[in-house]
Amino acid sequence: MSASEPTIPAAERRWAWRPYALAMPALVLLLAVIGYPLLTIVLRSLSEPQWGLQNYIWFFSAPINLTVLQRTFVISTWVTLVCVVSAYPYAYLMTAVGPRIRLVLMLCVLIPFWVSGVVRTLSWVILLQDSGVINSILRSFGLGGVRLIRTQTGVVIGMAQVLLPFMILPLYSVMKGIDLRLMRAAQSLGARPFRAFFTIYLPLSLPGVYAGAIIVFILALGFYITPALLGGPRSTMLSTLVQTQVLSLLQWGRGGAMGVVLLVVTFVLLALAAPVMRSRYREAGRR
Amino acid sequence: MRLRFGHAAGVAVLLAATAALAQSKPVAGEVAEGSLKGKTLTFVSYGGIYQDGQAAALKDFVDKSGVKLLNDGPTEIAKLQAQVESGNVTWDVVDTDDLPPYVYCGKLFQKLDLTKLDVSKIPEGQVGECSVPAMNYGVVLMYNKEKYKDNPPKSWADFFDTQKFPGVRGIDGSGSPTGGLLEQAFKVAGGDPKTMTVADIDKAIDVVRKLGPDTIFWKTGAESQQLAESGEADMLMMWTGRAMTAVKNGAKYAPAWQDWLVVMDQMTIPVGVKDTDASYALLNAYLGKNAQEILAEKTSYTPINNDAQPKVDASVSAYLTNTPERQKQGYKQNFKFWVPNFAVAQEKWSALMAGN
Repeated sequence: MSASEPTIPAAERRWAWRPYALAMPALVLLLAVIGYPLLTIVLRSLSEPQWGLQNYIWFFSAPINLTVLQRTFVISTWVTLVCVVSAYPYAYLMTAVGPRIRLVLMLCVLIPFWVSGVVRTLSWVILLQDSGVINSILRSFGLGGVRLIRTQTGVVIGMAQVLLPFMILPLYSVMKGIDLRLMRAAQSLGARPFRAFFTIYLPLSLPGVYAGAIIVFILALGFYITPALLGGPRSTMLSTLVQTQVLSLLQWGRGGAMGVVLLVVTFVLLALAAPVMRSRYREAGRR
Repeated sequence: MRLRFGHAAGVAVLLAATAALAQSKPVAGEVAEGSLKGKTLTFVSYGGIYQDGQAAALKDFVDKSGVKLLNDGPTEIAKLQAQVESGNVTWDVVDTDDLPPYVYCGKLFQKLDLTKLDVSKIPEGQVGECSVPAMNYGVVLMYNKEKYKDNPPKSWADFFDTQKFPGVRGIDGSGSPTGGLLEQAFKVAGGDPKTMTVADIDKAIDVVRKLGPDTIFWKTGAESQQLAESGEADMLMMWTGRAMTAVKNGAKYAPAWQDWLVVMDQMTIPVGVKDTDASYALLNAYLGKNAQEILAEKTSYTPINNDAQPKVDASVSAYLTNTPERQKQGYKQNFKFWVPNFAVAQEKWSALMAGN
C-alpha cells in the first residue's frame, strides 16, 4: 500500500499545519475546561486525604455505591431504549414529508430543546404527581391512580423527553441521506415492505441509531436535575451521591473517585460495544 | 438661642460619648459614620426573599458606614473551602446552616472575638465559638386537617406511627440529616437521645426507613410547600416559613407544635478574609434591634435580638417561634453529639436517601 501512495507536493506540505492552527482555539478550550479539571479530579481521588487507593476501596466496599452505580446504568439504558423507539419513526416521518411539515416537525423537536431542562422537569412534576394531570385524567375515567412521580418509571419518562432531541437529530441527518429509491427497487424485486425495511433501510440507518444512542446514553449517565426532582430514594443516580460527597461532606477525594469510576465503566462499555457497531457498519456497506 | 446652643452642645457631647463608647464596647446595630468608606464587603447567603430581607436589614449599616455591599450565594461550604485553601477568600460574611460553623470551627470559620460584637441581646445558648445566629426558625410537623379530622397527630411519635396514622409522609431530603428528627426517631425506637451513640444513628434511621417506600423526601423548601398545597403528603416535616406560606396559600394543613425542632442559620466570618474588622462591623450591625425587626418583617423568620418587636400580621406571628409558649414546646438537638458525628450521620443519611 505505502509504495503506491502518492507523494505530497512540497507546496501542499508547507500548509499542512493550517488545519491544526484553525483547531487550536477549540483544543486549548477543551484542555483548559475539560482536560485540566479532569486531571485534578483524578489526582484528588488518589491524594485525599492521603496518597493511596483509599477512596476507590471505599467506593467498592460500600454496597450503596454499587447499587446506585448499577441503577445509573439501568436507568440510562432504559432511557436510551425509549429514545430509540420513539425517535425512530419520528425521524423517518421527517424525511418522508414535504418541507413545510418538516419545518413544523423540526420546531417541535427544537423548541423544547431551547427551554431550560429545569423548567421541563418541573412541568413533568405537575403532570406526573399523584394529584397531577395524568392521574386526574385516569381517575375521571374511573381508573385508579398510578404512582408515577418518585419512581424509576417517572425518571425514565422525564429523562427520555429531555434527551429526545439528541436522538432525533443524528437519526434524521443519517436518514435523509438514505436513497428511498432503494426501497422501491427492493420491492420491485419482490421484497415485501417489511423485508425491504429490515434488509435495506434499517441497516443503512443504523449509524444514526448508534450515534444517537451513544450521545443519549452518555448524557443520561451524568444526569442530575431530572432524577433529583422526579425521583425518590429508589431512583437516585450516581451524580446525586457525588454531589453529597463534595458539597455536604467536602470529600473531594471520594467524589472524584466516583466520577472516575463512572468514566472508566463508560469507556469499558463503549469499547465492548464498538466491535459490534463496526461489524454492523461493514455489513451494511456490503449489502 | 442659648438654650438651643446648649441643647446642641449636649447632643454633640452625647454623640461623642456614644462614639467613644462604641469604640471601646460595641453596641449591636451601631456603626460609626463613614467608618468603612471605600471598602467593599461580600455577604453570602441563600438568596430569595431571605437574602433580600437580610440586605434590607443591612441597608442602614451600608448607608451609615459608606461600605459597598455585594451579595453573593448560595452558600456552599465546598466553595468556601476552595477559597480558604487557595488563599483567596472573597466571601467576607457567610450565612450557613446550623452545624457547619461547629464542624469547621477554626478551619474554615474564624473563632469570634466577642469584644468586637455585642451579643448581649442574643437568645441564650445560641452564640457559638465561631458563629452568632442569623435568625431562628423551626422544623414543624404539619398535617392534613381533612385527612385526620378529629384525631390529628400531636407529636413526632405519631408522625412515625403509620399504624395509627396511615398516610404519606414528607421529610426534609434537601441534603443533610436533621439531628432533631433523628433524635425523635431514636426515642420511638426506645432510646434516650441524651445518651445516643454512633451505633444508635442506625436505629434512628431504621425508624425513618420503616415509614416505607411511599415516603417523600423533598429536595427544596419550595417543594415541601408545593406538597402541602397540592395535598400530595398527609404529614410533612416543614420549615416554619414554608409552612406559613403554604397555609396562607390555602393549604388545609395545621401545625403540631409539640417538640418542634429548633434550628437556626448562622453568621460566620471565614478564615482569611481581607478585612476582619469590617466583617465584624457588619455582624454587629446585623445583630441590632432595628435590623432584626426589618428582617423579621420581610422574611417572617424569628429575630435573634431579644428586644426586637417586628410588626407582622397574625398569619405571620402564628409561626414566629420566640413566644414563651413556643419556647417551652421547642426541642433542641444534642449539638455535642452531632458535631463530631456529622460525617457519619451524613453518610448513613445519604444511604437512606439513595434507597438503601
